This record gives sequence, C-alpha cells and structure tokens, in this order.
Amino acid sequence: MKKFLALLLIGAMTFSTVACGGSDAPAAGETQPETKEEAPAEPAKEEAPAAAAEEEAPAGGDAASSITLWTYPIGKWGDEATVKALTDTFTAKTGITVNVEFLAYADGDDKVNTAITAGQAPDLIMEGPERLVANWGANGYMVDLSDMLDDTDKSEIQAAPLAACTAPGGEVYEYPLVMTAHCMAVNLNAFKEAGADQYLDLETHTWTTENFIKAVEALYAHYGDTVAAVYCAGQGGDQGTRALVNNLYGGSYTDAAHTAYTWNSPENVKALEQLKSMDGIAFDASLAGGDEIAKFYQGVLKMAFCWNIAQQLDPNAAGTGAGLTITGDEIAFMSFPSETGESKLQGGIWGFGIFDNGDAARIEASKQFIKYMADSEATKDAVIAANYFAVRSSAEGTDLSAIWADNDIMNEYQVLMPYLGDYYQVTPGWAGQRTAWWTMLQKIGSGSDVTEAITQYEGEANAAAAE
Amino acid sequence: MSKQVTQKRSRALQRREDIAGYSFMLPSLIFFVGFVLIPMVICIWLSLTDSNMHTQGGGNFIGLKNFISLAKDEVFLDALWNTFVIVFVSVPTVTAFSLWVASAIYKLKMPVLSAFRCIFYLPVVTGSVAVTVVWKWIFDNYTGILNSVLKTTGAIDANINWLGDEKYALWCIILILFTTSVGQPIVLYVSALGNVDASLVEAAQVDGATDLQAFWKIKWPQIMPTTLYILVITTINSFQCFALIQLLTQGGSGTQTVMYYIYYTAFKLTEQSGHFGYANAMGVILAIFIGILSAVQMRLAKEK
Repeated sequence: MKKFLALLLIGAMTFSTVACGGSDAPAAGETQPETKEEAPAEPAKEEAPAAAAEEEAPAGGDAASSITLWTYPIGKWGDEATVKALTDTFTAKTGITVNVEFLAYADGDDKVNTAITAGQAPDLIMEGPERLVANWGANGYMVDLSDMLDDTDKSEIQAAPLAACTAPGGEVYEYPLVMTAHCMAVNLNAFKEAGADQYLDLETHTWTTENFIKAVEALYAHYGDTVAAVYCAGQGGDQGTRALVNNLYGGSYTDAAHTAYTWNSPENVKALEQLKSMDGIAFDASLAGGDEIAKFYQGVLKMAFCWNIAQQLDPNAAGTGAGLTITGDEIAFMSFPSETGESKLQGGIWGFGIFDNGDAARIEASKQFIKYMADSEATKDAVIAANYFAVRSSAEGTDLSAIWADNDIMNEYQVLMPYLGDYYQVTPGWAGQRTAWWTMLQKIGSGSDVTEAITQYEGEANAAAAE
Repeated sequence: MSKQVTQKRSRALQRREDIAGYSFMLPSLIFFVGFVLIPMVICIWLSLTDSNMHTQGGGNFIGLKNFISLAKDEVFLDALWNTFVIVFVSVPTVTAFSLWVASAIYKLKMPVLSAFRCIFYLPVVTGSVAVTVVWKWIFDNYTGILNSVLKTTGAIDANINWLGDEKYALWCIILILFTTSVGQPIVLYVSALGNVDASLVEAAQVDGATDLQAFWKIKWPQIMPTTLYILVITTINSFQCFALIQLLTQGGSGTQTVMYYIYYTAFKLTEQSGHFGYANAMGVILAIFIGILSAVQMRLAKEK
C-alpha cells in the first residue's frame, strides 16, 4: 500500500513538473515576467484576428501575431491605460497583440542591457537616438528602418530629428515620432514677491545672463536661502545642467561632428565659476533632475533647470493642474539664460526602434506597429499621448501641424522651438560621459578648482568616446 | 552463508539510506551548484578576460590585466577604502550594540521581550526600498526632519546637506545600515543568552564572581558560536552594501563602494571595452577580502 502511495505521489510530481515546464513555452518575447499583454479593445474582434492580419499585412512577408514593446515614460506613453488604448486599436486593426512593459529611466537601461545580453531583447523599444542610434544601433542590435522611409516620409519629417535618428553609415535605427525643446521654469509668484519678474521677458520666454544673475540676487535677498539647485546626484535630468552651463557664456558640449566632448572651454569654466559664486545657487549632490522638479513643484526652489512642455502641462506628473505648483503658484517656462538671450536649447527626440532578434515575422509585425503609430491616421493620437510635438507635418494625409491648436500652453511653448540646438547626444561614449559630468559638478560643489575638475572629467568623457 | 546474507542485507540497507540521504540533499545541491558554484567559476574565468556585452562568448583571455588595471583605478581604490570603512565601523558597533541590547532584554517577561524583538527586527523585515525612502526624507536637505530638529534646538544654524556632502554622506549610509543590521543579531543573542546554563552562572556567583566576571568567563564562551556567526554575516552584509548606495547617492558624495562600482561597471558602462571582465575582477577581489576577514574571525574565535 505504501509503495503504491509513493508511486502515486511520484507520478503526480512528475506530471506536475512536466506540465509546468511543458512544451507550450511562448516565443522569446512573450517570456518576460513583467510583461502585460494588451487585450484587444473589442472582444467581438478577438475571433477574427487572423483574417484581419491577412488583410492588413503588407505583401513583404508574414507578420507574427504577437510582439513586445518596452517603453520609457515618454509623456503618457508611460501610462498603462493610455498605451493600452493605443495598442488596442492597433490590435483591432491588424490582429497583432502587443505586450507592453513600462520602463523607468532609473533602471530602464539596465533592464534593456540585461535583456540584450541574455538574448531576450524586446521586439520594439521607444526612446531617443542617444540610446537607439548611438548605443544599441551602433553596436549592431537594431534593425535598419530606412526601407520604411519613402520620399514622402522624408519630406514630411523634419530634417534635424531624422538626421539624429540616422547613423553615420546611413542606417535609420529610430523612426521618430515626437520632439521638444528642453527648457527651465520659474515660480512666477515668487519672482513677483521678490521683484525679480522685471528680469523676465514673458513674451518671448527668454532672458539674458545678466538678468538671470540679477534675478537670483533679488530672490536670495528676499528669501535668504537656496533658490535654485545645480543638481548632480546622478545623471537624471542632466540635460538641464548642461544647457544652463553651456548657454550662460556661449560654451559648447561637443564638437560639431559629434566625435569629442568640448566642455573644457573658457566659456564653460566662466559659467561654472559664476554659478559657484552665486548666493542662492547650490551645487546639490543630493538632488537629481526628478528631485529638483519635486522641490520646485513644492515651492521650495524658485527655479527648475529640468523642465519641458510635458512638465508644464502636468507639473511633477501630479495631476494638480497645468502650469501650477502644488500651492497654486504660477509656473512660467523660460529659455536658458544667455548673453544675447537667444539660447541653444537641448532637443528631445523620441520614436521607435526594432531589436534584431533574427525573427523576420516579428520584425515585420514590429514594422507594422511603427507604421501605424508614426505614419498613419493614428499618429495624431500617438503624438498627443506623448505630450510633445510631432516630428512630421502630416502622416498619410492626416495633418499633424495643428493637433495642439486648441491647447494654449502648447501654442505658447512654440516660441521656444526656434531655439532648438544641436542634437549632440549621439556622440560616442555618451553613457560614460554622463557620469563624468555629474561627478564633476559634485567635485566643483564640494570645493574643487573648476579648471582642474573640468579638465579631469572632460578627459574621462573623451576617453569614453575613444573606446 | 548466514553471515554473507547479513552483510548483503546490511550493504543494501546502507545503500538505501545513502540514496535517501542524497535525494534529500539533491534539491539544495542543484541550487548550490547552479546558483553559487557555477557562477563563481564563471566569475573567476571572466575576470581573466576582456568580456563585454557586445562580444559573443566569454571574451579573450587577458591574464591578470584587469587586476593590474584595478590596482591603478582611483575610483576602485576609493570604493575599496569606503567599503573597509563601512565594514570596520559597522561590524563592531552592530555586534557590540546587539549584545548590549540582548543582555538587557533577554531576562524580561515574554510579552515585553517579544515586543522588543519585534521593534528591533522591524527594519530587517521592512523592504529596503521603503526604509531608504523614509531615511531620504529624514535626511532631506531642504525639508528633512533632522535639519528641522537640529535647527529648532539651535544645534545648527544652516541646513546640512547630509546626503550631498562628502563629510556626512558615508556616515549617514553607515547609520542606516546599522539600523537595518542590528535586528537579527539581537534576536540571535537573546536566544543564545537564554540557552546559557544557569547553574554555571549561579555556581560562579556563589563562588564570588562579579556580574562582569560571570559574563566574561561563563556566558561569553558559551555564546561564542553565535558571536562568530554574527560577525561573519555582518561582515558579508557590510561588504555587500548596495541598495542604500544605489537609492540614496548612486556612489556620489564620497560613498562609492566596491559592490556599487561592480554594478555600475557591469550594467552602466556598457560602452567601455571589457566591462564585464573588469566588473568580475572586482567581484573576485571582494570575495577574497570577505574570505580573508571571515577566516580571521573564525580563527580568532576558535583561539578564544
């Protein structure tokens, strides 16, 4: 009896083991544990996905029935409900289901790099050229999308973002969707209380270095405490500190060819020494970009150097009203100060790339997804979800130039777009130099000589570029 | 004939027991081999190569080049120094404090003792992210409660940037590590002290031993195995301090540690050639130091 019972138990265990690890293993992309499968919007259409796919699939080849998308929090592309609505419409149209995983900037790169190393990269990824082109594309992990761009597409997409998405060899590793200009912001109520609003030009949203210095002096005289932080706890939001330093006296970050870093210039040294000498400005190694935004939103800091239109529309992603701090103070977005007032703003470009997982059907399905989101009548919704500006004037006959026409803030923000500067984030060694930049700011903040620090860390950045 | 049959049965019985024993060990053995032994061997091998995420296979054999580079790497040497500071401050203070607390509470009535156990063990079972976020609020440069209290009491005039200033950041990390490390040693010491033979202590007291003599001559030797275990696990935990660094300072403000530098090199510096090999070399060095310190602790404890 005991033997029979033991055999029965062994049989049950063996069966359960086989059942759990059975042969129904999903394809590579479906094995991600945190992936959430997006079900079609209308259950009635679930029964006919294959037929729909046959109708929609281009003649080029068979597309897979399921793909994975990993997306960084680009506007509401980081919001599950918004993305589900977008992917549901795609699924309803093509029959291809999209498994979405939402990445955070804090550890998103780690997850992607780990997935690449393990041969488990997603089919699609949504981010900017500094990752898709300069890093993963340059290292041979991405699919060249140049066959998706015909002459009409090239005429509709702005030249600058398309150039940023194109590798030096002509391969297009990112199909661009949206763009913006990063800027800074001021607490207008605080400025008015301190009498510093006289230094702002709220028509053009620009100001000069001289007026910036006077404004900080007025704010410090009024509040007697730190009013703005050169945040340097990490790389998060470092586009703000770079733009601040580069614009104050006309310095640059890289050479025009994007081959080397050029921080170590008299203009940048002067800017850093100026910032270091100012009461009211702190080099704060306890804050990164996101922390600075939170402190600005709370009213603790009176200026934020990490800002853009998405923040202006929804400060601190708190949902408490566009252009307002938590206490209801008015937020004004501003260009970074420069000697002439005409600054070079850091651009942000976001779009889709495809990882080359060696599966033609999945690549084909991924291309269908990109075509649908970035060049179809659905592009309007995809752009609106990102809270940024479309990189193209129209998509398959749908006019995209006026999609923000009924949004006053977006319209007002357009005044900054002419100041969009060089997209230098595609310079080699980008990931390594980011650490060198914030470490340098920490050293300067803790009392190191500016010239020595900038020489040492620019050297490290260029060493990373030369790897 | 009968003897032969008995021997045969005995061997069969022994074999059945061996098979049963190994079968019970098998699951643990599989995990140990799969998740400890094989990764250790891979780590040692990769530390001798220029492996990185962009090359297929294990990279090229480069001998001890990674270790030679590490000896000249200022960031690594700083990280090693900080790691040793954490270990040499944290381990004695955690051990001494937990022994002191356990000595004070182990004779208390059960409900009170349980309450103390819970209080000290709470930071251990609380998620490290949650604990770290709370500490981040406490240490906040602008709105933190610590600055607020110190300013209100007149201890400081201006806010201190606890996590952003090289003078304080590492000590803040050590303090948080201390609070999350004392729980388990206290529970272990309470249990060990409770198991000390009371008759020996009473006999010593009858012979005129003071409390200190009774502790040092009777209790201390009996709780030595527990002390040894606490020393070893606290040393390893201190060497492997990672989450606090990642969540609070990202290695900045003079808080770079070997563990964080390994992570940073392996997963952030993906553009640097040979970054996997370099990170693995750091891992090997860290393992060597942990092994040496643990061996020294065991040797000293045995001599005692």
